[in-house]
Amino acid sequence: MLSRRVFLQSSSAAALGSRLFGAPTDSTKPNPELENLGAVALSEAKKLKATYCDIRIIRYRRQQLNVRLNPEQGTGKILEVPSISDTGSFGFGVRVIADGCWGFAASPLVAKDEIARITREAVAVARANAALKSQPVQLAPVPAYRVRWQTPHERDPFTVPVEEKLDVIRAAASEAKKGNGIFAAGSNLSFRSEDKYFASSVGSSIQQLNLQTYAGVNATAVDTKRALSKTRRYQPPQATAGYEYVPTMNLTENAGLIRQDVIEHLNAPPVTPGKKDLILLPSHLWLTIHESIGHSTELDRALGYEANFAGTSFLTIDKMGKQRIGSDLINIWGDRTTERGLATTGYDDDGVKATKFPIVEKGIFTHYQTIRDQANLIGEKESRGCCYADDWSSVPFQRMPNVWLEPGKPETTLEDLIAGVEDGILIDGDGSYSIDQQRYNFQFGGDAFWAIKGGKKQGMISRVAYQSRTTDFWQACDGIAGRSYWQQWGAANDGKGEPEQINGVSHGCSPARFRQINVIQTD
Amino acid sequence: MLSREESKKLADKALSFSTFPECEVNVSSSEAAFIRFALNGITTSGFTVGQSLSISSVRDGKRGSTSVDEFDDRSLREAVQRTEQLALIAPANQESVPPLGPQKYPVIENYPASTAQARNQVMIPHIRAIIEGAKARSLVAAGYMERVSETRAIANKQNNFAYGKVTDAYLSSTVRDAAGTSSGWAAQPAVRIEDIDGVAIARSAIEKCLRWKNPKRLDPGKYTVVLEPTAVGDLLPRIASGFAARAASEGRTFLSKPGGGTLVGEKLFPDSITLRSDPFSQLYSVLPWGAATMPADRMTWIEKGVVKNVFYDRYWAAKVGHPATPAPGSLLLDGGEKSLDDLIATVERGLLVTRFFYIRTVNPQTLQMTGLTRDGLFLIENGKVTSPVVNFRFNESPVRMLQNTIGMGKAIRTRGMEDGMVTPPLVVKDFPFTSISDAV
Repeated sequence: MLSRRVFLQSSSAAALGSRLFGAPTDSTKPNPELENLGAVALSEAKKLKATYCDIRIIRYRRQQLNVRLNPEQGTGKILEVPSISDTGSFGFGVRVIADGCWGFAASPLVAKDEIARITREAVAVARANAALKSQPVQLAPVPAYRVRWQTPHERDPFTVPVEEKLDVIRAAASEAKKGNGIFAAGSNLSFRSEDKYFASSVGSSIQQLNLQTYAGVNATAVDTKRALSKTRRYQPPQATAGYEYVPTMNLTENAGLIRQDVIEHLNAPPVTPGKKDLILLPSHLWLTIHESIGHSTELDRALGYEANFAGTSFLTIDKMGKQRIGSDLINIWGDRTTERGLATTGYDDDGVKATKFPIVEKGIFTHYQTIRDQANLIGEKESRGCCYADDWSSVPFQRMPNVWLEPGKPETTLEDLIAGVEDGILIDGDGSYSIDQQRYNFQFGGDAFWAIKGGKKQGMISRVAYQSRTTDFWQACDGIAGRSYWQQWGAANDGKGEPEQINGVSHGCSPARFRQINVIQTD
Repeated sequence: MLSREESKKLADKALSFSTFPECEVNVSSSEAAFIRFALNGITTSGFTVGQSLSISSVRDGKRGSTSVDEFDDRSLREAVQRTEQLALIAPANQESVPPLGPQKYPVIENYPASTAQARNQVMIPHIRAIIEGAKARSLVAAGYMERVSETRAIANKQNNFAYGKVTDAYLSSTVRDAAGTSSGWAAQPAVRIEDIDGVAIARSAIEKCLRWKNPKRLDPGKYTVVLEPTAVGDLLPRIASGFAARAASEGRTFLSKPGGGTLVGEKLFPDSITLRSDPFSQLYSVLPWGAATMPADRMTWIEKGVVKNVFYDRYWAAKVGHPATPAPGSLLLDGGEKSLDDLIATVERGLLVTRFFYIRTVNPQTLQMTGLTRDGLFLIENGKVTSPVVNFRFNESPVRMLQNTIGMGKAIRTRGMEDGMVTPPLVVKDFPFTSISDAV
C-alpha cells in the first residue's frame, strides 16, 4: 500500500514532473534523471528474476475550452456559458514477465522507493497468475534505442495564451448562432500533451512528446411546434500537431456553413428507403474504415484475446493473404508515421520504432496489426509497432495504428463520382455507428445528407442510415477520388480492452462511391 | 486509500490557498485489481492505485478548473493559483448558480472490506472454475474479473463538506467452441465479492455456448422478445437523458410536448412500469451525493406508467421556480416474481435475447438506438426454447420497449458491456430487428 505519510511529505513532487520533462531541448537523448528512475525498475525486476521489464513514466496535460450560447427562458436573450479546465496527471506503470506471465502495477508517486515497490507488486501479480497461464509469453526481438522524439510542431499549445484560444471559439460560436433560426450553438478547443519516458530490459531508453489538438463547432435548430430538433457539427480533423494547426481549421467560416445546413436539415424530407449508391466524404468514411477494417485486422481479436469484450474477427488467421474483402481499388495501410495522425508517434509502448505496413492490397487482406508478444503466434519475426496504453496506469496492449485508404487515380474528382450516380446520397460527417462483434454487419448514420439524382447533387434529406456487411460494402466500391481530395479524420475515443482503454486514431481517405447499399429510414 | 480525516485535511489545505469568494475541491483516491483471461489462460493482470484533486475557483461568475495528482503543498498552491488565473481570463458564465452552503447528506456507505481489499488470490478460484469448466467440455473461455474501490470528498469555501467510499466487483466470461461457431456469455456484478459465483457463471456461459449450435436464419422483422435482465440493462438506462427538465421544456427530448412544455403527468407506459432511482439500494455502492454535489435521494421517474418527474439542475430549477432534483442514477425498474422460464412459457412465438452489443443513438430525440444481439439468441415456440438463431441488428428506443412491455420477471442487478441497472427480464412485443448479423 502507498504510504499517505510519505505522500504528503513529498514536497518536491510538483517540481519533478516539470523538471523531468521540461521544455523540449536540442538533446537527442533522454533526460539522465529519467534514465536513473527507469533503472530502478529494471534492476529490481532483474533481482526478482523477472525475464523482462519495462517502465513508462508519463506526464499528461489536458486543456479544454468550451463555450455554449443558450437562449434565456422567457426573454430569448443569448446567455454565454463558458468552461475552461487545465488538468494534469503524472505517474508510472511497470510491466514484467515472471514465470512466463505478464504482471503490471502502477502508481502516481514517481520516486525511487515507490518504483522499486511497484516493480515488486508487478512481479507478485505475474507469479500469482502463473498457475493459470495457457502458454509462456514470447517476445519478438527488438533493437535497443536511446533516443528522444517529439510530435513535429511549431507552437506548443500550452504556451499559447488562453485569451487567444477563447477568441477563436467565441467567434466561431457567435457565427454559428447568428440570426433567428438557431436555437443554441457552441464551440470548443482542446489540447493534450503526453510526455513519456520508456525504458526496458532490452536496453531501450526513449523519451517522447506527443501533442494532440482538437476543435469543433455546432449549431442546434428546434421546431417546438413539432417538438423536433437537429444539430449540425463541424469537426475539423483532429491531429497530432501544435497550435499552428488551429488557424488552418477555419472554424468561423465553417460555423456559417453549418448554420445554414442545420436549418435546412430540420425541414428536409425523409429519405425513401431502399438500395442506393452512396458517396461518402472523408469526414464520414473514416469511421466506416475504422470500424470495419481497422478493428477486424487487429491480431488480438483474431486470436481470441478480445473475445469477452470487443469481440473476435471475421478475418481469422487462415484468411491472411487470401481473403478478398474489397474491390481491386481498395488498398489500405496501417501507419504510425503518417503526418498528423492521432496514432502517429516515434516508438510504441514495446519500444518498437513506428512503422507503416499494408493491411489490404488490391482488395485482399494481407497483414494484421501486431505487437511483440503476438508476432510469433502467426509466424512473423517482428512486431508491427501497434502496442500502446491510454495512461501510465493502463496496461499496454495491441491498439490500432492510423489505418488509411489509398486515394484513387489523380484525375478522379468528387464531381466525377457524383456524375455517375442516378439515385444516391452524399453523406458528410459522422453520426450513429454500430458494428457486430466480428465486424460483419454494420449500420452508420451521418451528420448531413444530400440527395443525388441524375448525376447531380440536390437538396438535403433527413433520417438516413445505411446497413451493410463489411465485405459486401468494400466490394461495392467502384470509385475513389484522387489524392488532392485525401483528408485524415479520426476519433479521440476509440475504446477497447478490459479495463477499457480510450485512445485516439486517424483514418485518411478520399471521397468514395459505393453501389447499391441498403438505406433505411430512421426515426 | 484516503480516510475521511486525510481527505478533509487535503481539502482544507487546498481551500486555504484560495483568494476567491468561491472555491470547490474534489479529492479522490482509488485502487483497482483486475485479471483478464482468454484462450483458457490469464493474459493480463494488474494492480493500480490513483489519486486526484480537482479544483474550481469562481469570482463574478468567472470560473477556472484544474486537477492534480500530486498533493504536496506546492502542487496544491500552484493548482489553486492556476484556477484563479484561468478564472480571471474566462468570460462570466451567464448561467452560473451560487455555491451550495452546508448540506445534509444522507448516510450511504456500502463498502465491504472483503471487496475493497481483494487481490488476485481471491479472484483466481473463480477464473479457475470457468477455465476448467470450459476445458472439460473442450471449449475456450475468455473473461474478466475486477474489484475497484474509491474514496471521494467534496468541499467548498461555504463550509460544505462530504466524504464517501464506494467499492464493487465484477466477473464476466465468454465461452466459445474451438471452431468459433458458437458463443455463450454470463456475468455478475456484486458489491460483496463473496456473492460472486464463478461456478454459476461458468455453468451459464458454457450452457449457452453448447445450446447455440447450428443456429437458424430467421427473417428480420418485428418479434415478441424475452429480454434477459442484462439485455434490458444494456438498453434502458439510455432513457435517462430524456428526463432532463430543461431539454424537455426546450423541445429536445421524447418528453417534450408538441407546442411547448413537458409530458410530466401523462400516462405514456403500461401500468406495470415503475422506474426509480434508489441510491440507498444495497445492490449499489454509491456516493451520498449526485449531480452538482447535491444530496443523493430517491426519485420516481415513472410510476405505474405515468411520467412522475423530470430532473431539474440548479440553474433550470431557479429559472422556472422548481426545486432542484437529483438526476437519474442507481436505476431500478420494478419487477415481479416470475422466473425467466415463467416468462418464456407465456410466449407462443418469439426470441430470447441474452444481451445486446454496440448500442448507439440513432435519434437523440426519440432515443431510437441501434445495436445487435450477441452470445445467445434463441427461438421460443409454444412456451419453450426450441433452437438457436443467427444474431440480429435492431433499431428501437427504450421508450417504445417499455411501452410494448407485456410481462416482467424478478429484478436483479445487471452489468453488460453497454450499461447496467437493477431490472427484471421483460417480455416485449413488436421488437424490430432490421438485418441479420453473422457474427458469433
